[in-house]
Amino acid sequence: MDRRSFTVIIAAVVLRLAMFMAFPSLPDLLTNRVELSTPVTSFKRLQEGLFLYTHGLSPYDGGVFHQAPLLLAFFTTLPSNPIVVYLVYILSDVLSAYSLIQIATSGVSVSTPYHTSSRKSSAWPPWAVAAAFLFNPFSIATCIARPTIVFTNTVILTAIAKGVQGQGVAAVLALAMASYLSLYPVLLLPPMVLLAYDTLPAVKKKECSLGSFAAVLTSVFTFAAAGLGALSWGITGGSWEFLASTYGVHLLLPDLTPNVGLWWYFFIEMFDSFREFFLCVFQLHLAVYLAGLCLRLRKQPLFVITTLLGISSIFKSYPSIGDTALYLSLLSLYRHIFPLMRYTFFVTSTLLYATLLGPAFYHLWIYAGSGNANFFYAITLVWSLAVTVLVSDAIFAVLRDEWETERPEMKGKEIVQI
Amino acid sequence: MIITASLRSTRILKLLPLVSALCILVGVTWLLLLPLDDYSRRTYISENALLPGQVHTYFGGSEQDVFRSYRHEVTALGKNASADGSGVMAAKIGGIFDAFGLKVGKQKFEYIAAGGVYAGENVYAVLQAPRGDATEALVLCAAWVNTEGELNESGVALVLALARYLKRWSLWSKDIIFLITSDSRAGPQAWVDSYHDLHAPPAVASLPLKSGAIQGVVVVDYPTSRGFESLHIVYDGINGQLPNLDLINTAVRIASGQMAIRTMLQEMWSHDNQYRDRLRTMLRGMVNQGLGHASGPHSSFIPYHIDAITLQAYGDGWHDEVTLGRTVESLFRSLNNLLEHFHQSFFFYLLMAERRFVSIGTYLPSAMLIAVNFTIAAIGLWLKSGRLDAGEEENKGGDGKVSEGKEKLLGPAGEAPSAAADAVSEERPLLLAMAFVVAIHFLGFIPLYLFNNLDEKNFTSAFYIFALLNVVLPSVLCAIFTKSSTPTRLHFALIKCFSLLLLGMFLSALATLNFSLSFLIGVFASPITFINPTPERKWTVGAAWMTLLQGLTPTTALVGVAYYWGEPLSEILKEAAFGWRVWGMWTQVVVWCVWWPAWIIAGVLVAGSWAVEA
Repeated sequence: MDRRSFTVIIAAVVLRLAMFMAFPSLPDLLTNRVELSTPVTSFKRLQEGLFLYTHGLSPYDGGVFHQAPLLLAFFTTLPSNPIVVYLVYILSDVLSAYSLIQIATSGVSVSTPYHTSSRKSSAWPPWAVAAAFLFNPFSIATCIARPTIVFTNTVILTAIAKGVQGQGVAAVLALAMASYLSLYPVLLLPPMVLLAYDTLPAVKKKECSLGSFAAVLTSVFTFAAAGLGALSWGITGGSWEFLASTYGVHLLLPDLTPNVGLWWYFFIEMFDSFREFFLCVFQLHLAVYLAGLCLRLRKQPLFVITTLLGISSIFKSYPSIGDTALYLSLLSLYRHIFPLMRYTFFVTSTLLYATLLGPAFYHLWIYAGSGNANFFYAITLVWSLAVTVLVSDAIFAVLRDEWETERPEMKGKEIVQI
Repeated sequence: MIITASLRSTRILKLLPLVSALCILVGVTWLLLLPLDDYSRRTYISENALLPGQVHTYFGGSEQDVFRSYRHEVTALGKNASADGSGVMAAKIGGIFDAFGLKVGKQKFEYIAAGGVYAGENVYAVLQAPRGDATEALVLCAAWVNTEGELNESGVALVLALARYLKRWSLWSKDIIFLITSDSRAGPQAWVDSYHDLHAPPAVASLPLKSGAIQGVVVVDYPTSRGFESLHIVYDGINGQLPNLDLINTAVRIASGQMAIRTMLQEMWSHDNQYRDRLRTMLRGMVNQGLGHASGPHSSFIPYHIDAITLQAYGDGWHDEVTLGRTVESLFRSLNNLLEHFHQSFFFYLLMAERRFVSIGTYLPSAMLIAVNFTIAAIGLWLKSGRLDAGEEENKGGDGKVSEGKEKLLGPAGEAPSAAADAVSEERPLLLAMAFVVAIHFLGFIPLYLFNNLDEKNFTSAFYIFALLNVVLPSVLCAIFTKSSTPTRLHFALIKCFSLLLLGMFLSALATLNFSLSFLIGVFASPITFINPTPERKWTVGAAWMTLLQGLTPTTALVGVAYYWGEPLSEILKEAAFGWRVWGMWTQVVVWCVWWPAWIIAGVLVAGSWAVEA
């Protein structure tokens, strides 16, 4: 880590501490924002679960707490001082930034064994990538609102950092932890295997084919996940209740608290007889992109991971701003393709509009009473539209970049797919 | 692709300022058309349960003598104890309520804003509904002194007389709270904050006695002992939020239909229901809404989603307290019928006569068009900046990559160059422009803090110093900016682009919360769209622009407001600081952190047209 990265991290820590200290009411204000805290990540619900847990009751009684049991075990070992909690969240962000620095240093985003971008030189240095994550207002707000998505993001980034360093087992272990915390990272397993395999030295690749490598990593993943499950079983006093209350909630959407995603409104309006069907459709929709992206973008598995994270930040059951922040921070690794993107201005202004109008409409709906749920839902649609356009535009740019690298003579020419 | 390609053609880019101008023109014309019969609608009662004016009212007869005796008491008390919030008033009025057999509560409060202390004591009594379960309540309120500082002798006496009278009825299904606040500004706020446990003890005391969720509030303001000519209905809430239109309609219908009292809005003492008067009513309403201050004791209730109005007796006429009492009685009978919280009718509307209004769907486009004009200009500048960059790079040689793209771009003439420009967009130097715009926006917190925290004695001098600084600030900032970094035309174009983008965004978000404020600021800021960020050849043009801008500063607007109200500047600033501290009014946040930065940036752009060329 160079001096600049270090400065960026120190500045980010100071900024976050200052926000926590200078505005004592800010953390609680942000914790109550539906854009930042979802039923499966909310810090307030975590406290409820902790209270029940420390009083010897099942944390999942009452149907408020939907987070992994290990978080309970972790937070009970912490002193109850709020400053310690702040520091834990800040540390988590620092670790995320550190992983991002490692990923950026490895240069996997510009050059893989199968593809080296011709625009390599315009990629951002590691410190800039870290800064893009640490000083992103969405990341800062997420850190201060203290949802547990912060930990998931850290673990996902750690997994990727291990993956780009060729430590497949470590990457998959971290990914198992991420999936344990919030389920959907399980979708990242195939591209993660590809990523780890690609970075293996050629000698090792000869020893071990992709198939067997994948088999090993998948079994490691399964064992790790099973181990975490067993550990949780122990923590919650020998009960499997946590499965239904955590992953069941991700999958079946019993809590319809508004969030920035597309599910809650849809399932409020849904007739009960269609609920199961559409739950399946919505869940499948998330998985549908996996195979296609892995095949088409085989040369750049890191970009597959990035894109999948972007897609799940739109379409997963309880998305929040924290998911989008993670996607944006990974996208900053692809600075070199930005010139190829066509809708950056549109996306930026739409995201900004949605950021302003979302809270305004939520206020009209919940506090002023002069609006209704449609106001807020309309804005979450706009938000999702912007992220969707960003994701597809980034895919376009990466494909165009690959194509231009193959055929340098076609640079800057219009192409039409027939 | 084709659209973007054609957007990039110069012809359309040249048209964009025209489109912006058209947006502003249509936006303003739209607003001016609203008072016409074709665009506004007659008001109607949406909530069927209200049944306004369908009941007989019985207030009168011996109640009038009771009323008069209370008025004597109030007048005497007002002379002796003055209205400084001493406990005498609360004790005396509390004693009267107690004598009716009502439960009485008192609340002391003290606010400190801009060095001034606002203290007093509220007193209230709860009439428990014979047919209800204390889950809902209505409030009948009178301030001891009204907003003009006059003793509200008949108003308070009427509340007392009505408390005695309404208690005899067995038909109430909602509790009725009779509230006498010691003033019109801080008292109601202290009371309603405490009612919802959102007060700040110990400065504001907690309420000893509460009832259910408040469904409606009627404030009576009748400061004379003479007869009155007409009823003035005040309805603006804090931050421009309005009560449900049904409440106003019910009041108008009962007053004019059942009691034959003329009703008026927005201090339009004569109204012929023609275009001019409608427009004036509407504009006055918009100014009140835009300023976002409390227009009466009812205003404090509205942010809590409680629909509230003030009934003010106006002029000398033959209506007396019995008519007003009956109006209130009938109004409460209607409110008593409510099955659920007011929700049927509009929350966003502009009233232009007591029975004429436009709803949000009709008027919102005017503010949105003005906000959109900024966004269009920003998009135009963004597209243009791509070309500017190309032009500049050509002159300077630029770095390898871009000029390489440039060659390709200019290369084979047959290849559609616009499409090529799409694929290899030029990199714009965003960071400096973005940092500058963000920094200026943060600069807005300085005046915000200053004017909310200074002592009221220093307001006038502070304002004049600030106004003077404000005149030279853009030029100074521009000098610093050009000295510290070497901005090009492109930088200025991008600064303008971001600034307009932000302004358009803030204003369109604001238009959904406070239409009038968004519209007024939009109109004031509209010349910013047309400032040309490229260096002017003639310094006279720059000077003309600067003069125009100086006439449109937030400080000028403040002077304008002072003139409009006929009050000294310090009073306005005091009111603003008070509103910030007590009412939670955020008009000044919008002024200092949205409008002022946009203005400063516009000034820097104009000043930049002299600086860069040199």
